[in-house]
Amino acid sequence: MEKIWGQTWALMGLLLLNSVCNVSSLSVTVNDVECVYEYVIYEGDTITGNFVVVDHDIFWGSDHPGIDFTVTSPGGNTVHSLKGTSGDKFEFKAPRNGMYKFCFHNPHSTPETVSFYIHIGHIPTEHDLAKDEHLNPINVKIAELREALESVTAEQKYLKARDTRHRHTNESTRKRVIGYAVGEYILLTLVSALQVIYIRHLFSKSVAYNRV
Amino acid sequence: MFSGGLTACFWPIILVLCLTRNTYILPVAEAIWLTIPSSGTKCVSEEIQSNVVVLADYYVIDENNPDQIPTISARVTSPFGNNLHHNENATHGQFAFTTSESGNYIACFWKDGSHKQDSELTLGIDWKIGIAAKDWDSVAKKEKIEGVELVLRRLQGTVEAIRGNLVYLKDREADMREVSEITNARVAWFSIASLGVCIVVSVLQIWYLKRYFVKKKLI
Repeated sequence: MEKIWGQTWALMGLLLLNSVCNVSSLSVTVNDVECVYEYVIYEGDTITGNFVVVDHDIFWGSDHPGIDFTVTSPGGNTVHSLKGTSGDKFEFKAPRNGMYKFCFHNPHSTPETVSFYIHIGHIPTEHDLAKDEHLNPINVKIAELREALESVTAEQKYLKARDTRHRHTNESTRKRVIGYAVGEYILLTLVSALQVIYIRHLFSKSVAYNRV
Repeated sequence: MFSGGLTACFWPIILVLCLTRNTYILPVAEAIWLTIPSSGTKCVSEEIQSNVVVLADYYVIDENNPDQIPTISARVTSPFGNNLHHNENATHGQFAFTTSESGNYIACFWKDGSHKQDSELTLGIDWKIGIAAKDWDSVAKKEKIEGVELVLRRLQGTVEAIRGNLVYLKDREADMREVSEITNARVAWFSIASLGVCIVVSVLQIWYLKRYFVKKKLI
């Protein structure tokens, strides 16, 4: 009876530890300020993530100044902040548990699409090991392995978002090359036709009778 | 002894409730929360490749008045415009589908017209794709594995997903390199063509003016 309960507890403990690690990866359109909230269960958890500004219509050349990113703890303090970037990774340890607020601020009036990924990872510490005697050091190692794999997945999501951004830039460049080239030809032809018309006009009888 | 047995039964049940998808009985902190403005819609999207399982859960969070939770409407559209999920006047819902085309999948939420308050709503979304959406409980039941073996099986699934993602990224990078090369070639050809257009147009100009002056007996 004791052994069955012990095994049940071990299973539950393992399942609980493995479902605490949550992943959220989404894109959101930022008009002015967009905030995403995520709950951190354990104090001391490592919060990692990245974000990339994807939809980025550069028109006259100089780059958009980027967006600002702020993380606010449940107590109201700013835990982490990045200013004027077009995409970056972040990692910090949560000072306390509770609801954390991740905010993107767009200083310009054009809406931008931001693709973000937030991961909260928990590795059982010696305190957790001491509290629950059915957790053994293998759980710590498994949690570390899982966190390492999650960091690889996070990096891949970041690369994918950056690749999407580069793809948008490339597509926009391709369209603009054709547009500008055709526009250039039309303008050239138009200007030379106007030149010819003007010269004809100079030589016409009504304007310059025998002046030339 | 009896009461000890009861409390020993109680906690695993609570844990099971937490871990399964009964998020409206016991909200699990597995989701992100968004605010829906009082007017307008809030859309979240993700670019997903084809043949990927998408599993999502959404629920309205309102601690102020738990008996009259405001309702929202949701719509999920595929990149080709097909409506994958549509729900009106609900406080929670879920949708699951396998993507058939690769592109941008958008989920939009908006407040129902019945609640005229100017307050913003908090919506919790639990959005899982690919390996994260896999139902490991059924795998454990079917293959009768548990504990460390199940965890290692999950890690193996994650590693395979990582490899799949790498191959996908490599293919996308190859596509983009082709587009860049084509753009490079186009810039070169269009520049030469613009020079050609310049020369042709000036030759035409001179030929026309010469013909005109000859006609007007000026030269």
